[in-house]
Amino acid sequence: MIEVKGLKKNFGKLEILKGIDTTIEKGEKVVVIGPSGSGKSTFLRCLNMLEKPTEGSIIFEGVDLTKAPEKQLYKIREKMGMVFQHFHLFPHLTIRKNLTLAPVKLGITTNDEANAKAEELLKKVGLSDKADSYPNMLSGGQKQRIAIARGLMMNPDVMLFDEPTSALDPEMVGEVLNLMKKLATEGMTMVVVTHEMGFAREVASRVMFIDDGVIAEENAPESFFGAPKNPRLKAFLSKVL
Amino acid sequence: MDEFLQKLYDTFIYDNRYMYLIDGLKTTLLITLFAVMLGMVIGFLVATVRATHDKTGKLKVLNFIAKIYLTVIRGTPVMVQLLIIYYVIFASVRIDKTFVGILAFGINSGAYVAEIVRSGIMSIDPGQFEAGASLGLNYRKTMIFIIMPQAFKNILPALANECIVLLKETSVAGYIALQDLTKGGDIIRSVTYEAFLPLIAVALIYLILVVGLSSLVGKLERRLKKSDRG
Repeated sequence: MIEVKGLKKNFGKLEILKGIDTTIEKGEKVVVIGPSGSGKSTFLRCLNMLEKPTEGSIIFEGVDLTKAPEKQLYKIREKMGMVFQHFHLFPHLTIRKNLTLAPVKLGITTNDEANAKAEELLKKVGLSDKADSYPNMLSGGQKQRIAIARGLMMNPDVMLFDEPTSALDPEMVGEVLNLMKKLATEGMTMVVVTHEMGFAREVASRVMFIDDGVIAEENAPESFFGAPKNPRLKAFLSKVL
Repeated sequence: MDEFLQKLYDTFIYDNRYMYLIDGLKTTLLITLFAVMLGMVIGFLVATVRATHDKTGKLKVLNFIAKIYLTVIRGTPVMVQLLIIYYVIFASVRIDKTFVGILAFGINSGAYVAEIVRSGIMSIDPGQFEAGASLGLNYRKTMIFIIMPQAFKNILPALANECIVLLKETSVAGYIALQDLTKGGDIIRSVTYEAFLPLIAVALIYLILVVGLSSLVGKLERRLKKSDRG
């Protein structure tokens, strides 16, 4: 589904990604971990071209995103949902409008269809009663569940999560992770950058350790956590587990 | 006391002299109103060009023109601009002076509005642009539906203040013989040889207008704050 070839990204002279090659298959749940500053968020943001790669290619459903014209890129982003660390809900709109804005303004669905779908998704994330509230009235966990619902409105083929629980109070992490687990069991293709090792162990089909701009190790969670080979990964795991 | 009443009578009542102030006020309000509208249109366009350039690197030529406009307009006094537009640009054309006033003050105000709007756009969290992009909304749609509504709310007080400033700035319109409020007071002064009363009256009218507008701005700000609370 997503094929990453020789992906490099520099910010000025600083080399963040130094050559990443990987393939993410349909239905996979890839969890990306690594020390801060290792480039894991940059990697995720390159997947939907929020960051433009310096070198290499990202091939999504047969299209090389690094060569795609702007117009096509926006079309493709509809198929790649993204959830941000700081939610980025639209504060001037009600929750319902937050969900329906994109599909309606892009002409994908009518207002009524979008409202019906929003209703359905709000039920799924357990926030049906918040449809007419504004984002500022919600807790962090609720905001993130809304952000996930907003992404799902577009019927994406893959969901990208950029540290979805890092900005949350500890007691709210669970509700967001539970929702993500629900998505995973429904078969959604997911790429998740996180520090939640429990989630990685339980949900991931593959765990990827990015260190110093490269994939230092990737494996199924049992072997990844049970028998890590890379010395940097061993050191990292001993610190976080 | 009688002397003062006599002066008051001579200044305002005799020969319907108060009409200089009434007509002047009308002209001042007319110029201000249309100049504000022109300034808003120019300001929003220029700000959009500038912000788009800053965010995406596109519109290089337009951005260059916008920058020259901002530099020239903000770097020269509004009175000089007014004189140039009337005596140089429209030198050989007979043209309605009020129109010239609206044009000059509108173009001038546009530069300040542009920077206010641009600061409003720049004050919005870049995450909002990213959220829009991640949903497949292009830059234009993100701007219209997500960024501008938030930016506009943030800059409303500053925009309202710009209107107040503009109202006072139109007082130099007399330099192209436009009979605005200030000029009206000055005409009374020149026929009665009495400076105190007409000029104080003019000042009072400006003051009342500005205080009134300011209190409206204050109300607006409080209303906006309220909707921010959760």
